[in-house]
Amino acid sequence: MAKKTSNPSSDRHRAIRIALYNHKGGVGKTTLIINIAAALSKLGKRVLLVDTDPQCNLTSYLVEASVVDDWLDKSETPNGATIWSALRPFSEGIGELKSISASETPDGIFLIPGDIRLSRFEEDLNQIWIECFQRKVHGFKGATAISEIVNGVAKKEKIDFVFYDVGPNIGPLNRVVLLDCDYFIIPAACDLFSVRALKTLGHSLASWIRDWNTISQLAPDDVPLLPGQPKFLGYILQRFKMYGGAMAEAFSSYAAKLEKSAHSDIVMVLREIDANLAKGTLSQNKLGQVKDFSSLVIYSQEEGKSFFTVTDGAEGQKQEAKTAFTSIANNIIAQTKGHSSN
Amino acid sequence: MKKVIINKQQRKLIDELVNYYIDNKRLLQVLLDQVASSVSSSQKLRPPLIHSVKSRLKDPEHLRDKLQRKMVEANEKQKRFMITTKNLFSKINDLAGYRIIHLHTTQFQEIDTELKNILGEQSWILHEGPSARTWDDEYREYFNTIGVDVNRSPNLYTSVHYIIKANKDNPVTCEIQVRTLMEEVWGEVDHSINYPHKSESHSCREQIKVLARVTSSSSRLVDSIFSSHKDFQEHAAGQMANLKTNKTRPKKKK
Repeated sequence: MAKKTSNPSSDRHRAIRIALYNHKGGVGKTTLIINIAAALSKLGKRVLLVDTDPQCNLTSYLVEASVVDDWLDKSETPNGATIWSALRPFSEGIGELKSISASETPDGIFLIPGDIRLSRFEEDLNQIWIECFQRKVHGFKGATAISEIVNGVAKKEKIDFVFYDVGPNIGPLNRVVLLDCDYFIIPAACDLFSVRALKTLGHSLASWIRDWNTISQLAPDDVPLLPGQPKFLGYILQRFKMYGGAMAEAFSSYAAKLEKSAHSDIVMVLREIDANLAKGTLSQNKLGQVKDFSSLVIYSQEEGKSFFTVTDGAEGQKQEAKTAFTSIANNIIAQTKGHSSN
Repeated sequence: MKKVIINKQQRKLIDELVNYYIDNKRLLQVLLDQVASSVSSSQKLRPPLIHSVKSRLKDPEHLRDKLQRKMVEANEKQKRFMITTKNLFSKINDLAGYRIIHLHTTQFQEIDTELKNILGEQSWILHEGPSARTWDDEYREYFNTIGVDVNRSPNLYTSVHYIIKANKDNPVTCEIQVRTLMEEVWGEVDHSINYPHKSESHSCREQIKVLARVTSSSSRLVDSIFSSHKDFQEHAAGQMANLKTNKTRPKKKK
């Protein structure tokens, strides 16, 4: 059936929005985002990170604890700077979204800080989803609220790439974030649980896309809409060890299983909805792989920087990390080129 | 009856159209639920103004019959059959159907006003209608005076139709029908006997025609009863008021 041509909020900024999503936690999602963002930034792209995980791991990773505490203390004041500061007037029914500014990190990356109170908005989102099905304007405003906030910042800072750091769950907050994305990437560890997780991930994404398609086809004229067509950009393999220049055997069997599962549980499931949602062939689905840089992780967390911009750490390791992430960044640029975002 | 054959290719097209409808049934079901929730949000569109509501999605086999009939008709007239999956939803408007049933015809004006209010408030697009179908001269007059288009109904029934849409871009529609409970009885009988294929029994067809006349008279009788009742109540209320004013007046002493 003819879809309502994706006309999200009439003036969606051209920045390409990407989520790193896996409801299985502990796959190194936050670390990946920071490194990919830094690599893209080194290639001259302007990158905005949006922390939509109420646990605020990304924010705490990048920003000093005292500053984060201060943001959280002041998030409900007129100077509030977190994502909740922007959402609160709408969520509490006292006004429209408040416009906020992004903070710039040492790596030259922009950040919309997360907030533990975002979980309150997540509660609203269940009702908001029902309201969308009932064609109520409030529902559409709620579903697109985060998208609007991001749009404002992307415009102001002339952003090229937006990355959402989302919580590890299949909840209503992740639903609106994923439906706002042009693409999503699955970070996956080389273990049994990561392989198993792909099945639920594929099915929930597919049902979100279908639901939103129904909602937007029946939406009244002139309400803000989400694009609702997140394309699969690929998965990134992580958390494996190398042995003599090759992936250690214990990990390579999971790597093969992940490749298969990404194809049958993600690509094929999405293609049933629309062939454009997942274009890659079996082997093209791997966007990149990143071995375990154990010692760099610690320095990177301490300094709030990427693996290759930290001051401590062995040069060889840093170079290796830089090569791996630059390759992923280049892949992302190449594969998102010509995305029909206005 | 002369049998016109639908060829293999045409049959395939009809299958394709019916399957397309089945694939999109969920969308139409959501649309229908939305219409129902819009109507039920009104404080007025409930008893006593309306008696009850009904909603249904068209049975896919009934759609098949309808398409086959149209195909045969096109073949007979040597015209092109114009329905494709691209325009199915804009050509067939009663796939999602919602019905408002009320007691007597003159309630219609108030129902129409309220229904239009609700549709406007909730940003529905009134794509077509309201248009009434009736064969009864007196009712035609009634609908004309309240500004509703009237078409002659060869089927002998009286009802008013609206076609609504969710927005400008999407072709799916919902048909809202408003009719009286008496007409509902006639409609149900006619539907059971004559749908999807007209009964071949002469006497059945005859009796259904007579039933339409009885239905019309019954509807008219209910209108009359309610109008008499109202008139009586107003009259009685007037008398009571008179009595009260008489009582408050000081009585003359003898």
